[in-house]
Amino acid sequence: MPEAINKIILRVAQVMIHELKLEDVTPETFEPDVDLVDEVGIDSMDLATVALVLQDEYGIRIDEDDYPKLTTVRFISEYIQNKLNE
Amino acid sequence: MYATENDIEIKSRTQSKKVWKFSEILEDPHVKARWEKVRKYFFLRESTYDMTTRCNIRCEGCYYYEGEKQYSVDNRNPEAWRKLIRAEKERGITYVVLAGAEPSMVPQLCEACFQEIPLGAIATNGLKQIPESIGYKIHISVWGNDETSRRIRGAENMLNRQMDNYKGDPRAVFVYTFTRENIDEAQEVVQFLDKHGCKTTFNIFSTPTGYDGKLRHTENSLLHTRSTMTALMKKYPDSVWYSHYNVVAHTHRFSLHDLYSCSYPRMNVSKGIGLGRSFRQYRSDLTWNRDASCCVPDTDCSDCRHYAAGSAVVTARMFRHAANPRTFKAWLDYVDTYLAVWVVGYDKGKNLCDEPVAPPGF
Repeated sequence: MPEAINKIILRVAQVMIHELKLEDVTPETFEPDVDLVDEVGIDSMDLATVALVLQDEYGIRIDEDDYPKLTTVRFISEYIQNKLNE
Repeated sequence: MYATENDIEIKSRTQSKKVWKFSEILEDPHVKARWEKVRKYFFLRESTYDMTTRCNIRCEGCYYYEGEKQYSVDNRNPEAWRKLIRAEKERGITYVVLAGAEPSMVPQLCEACFQEIPLGAIATNGLKQIPESIGYKIHISVWGNDETSRRIRGAENMLNRQMDNYKGDPRAVFVYTFTRENIDEAQEVVQFLDKHGCKTTFNIFSTPTGYDGKLRHTENSLLHTRSTMTALMKKYPDSVWYSHYNVVAHTHRFSLHDLYSCSYPRMNVSKGIGLGRSFRQYRSDLTWNRDASCCVPDTDCSDCRHYAAGSAVVTARMFRHAANPRTFKAWLDYVDTYLAVWVVGYDKGKNLCDEPVAPPGF
């Protein structure tokens, strides 16, 4: 199980970096617990973009109402894992 | 063909059952290109500022002179404004909207704001020219022909005076507000503006809280507005900045809040992300109150169809519009229009969607 979540975390970080054109960070160095809003500075439009890409990739449905919960890469990854397990 | 369709007819014609992947929607090169064009502006984070309690005219149904804010004590110190806007920039604001009552009365304060945050817009009645050194978009309010302006706004010869101040000014966008009473005047006004090379966009009169006057729209007047807007958009495709989706969203029988769940703090308790987190509406004394914060305070939310509200609220609902190619194209047209109207230097593209599309879920 930890391996699976780590794989998702890495992929979420990749998507985040690619879609938001983040600099000075790699998927491996992206701290999964950093607050995306407070510390990375992403906004709702950024999060929506990432959510659309992740929805496609994992074949899940991300609910708009769940955005406030998706504040770190780890939370997003756990959210995806839970959806995959449903 | 589509001009007089009602909301239910549009919904039944544009429903889509297939579940689309976002990547499939982006396979269309026109959609992909427009998406890449608009997403560059996702960094915009707005707040709005009432610059003064003064105005040089009094309009019936003016939102500014409803509620508490009109009793603020003006702060007329440019350094205080500069300090405020600098602090706004530090907390992440990248775009300012200078509004009530009439910002052209205090150009030195507008200038101070511009020097700190160079992206923004000023809402004005256009009767006093705002110095060219202030490089914000200038939104000039038009409420009908001159006869109507004289009656509703108490101002004579308004269009020509606005034209004298802003003809040929690349900052200027004329905002024609459709009330229940001036729908048929839009034709002559837009023709006049087009003849003088001016850009026009549309607004819908949205009632201030407690207002029950004759300007308030009905379902029938909204449908009449819908067909008029559509006809003008087709007749003046270069000078009217609007889209089919703008028309539907703003003339729908349901308000913007009902359709899109308004994300401004006044109606949104979440402080986590987006407008609920960052947006503030400052009064002219530089104070703000989260409970009253939205783009046009003291508007009755159940009747809100403001162009300013839509620009933020519809745009913020990107996720739900990315459900199928048609709805996403409609959203892209809306955002392309919003950016052309609000951002200096942004060029409006040709609309991608050539028919009305229903808002998601409606």
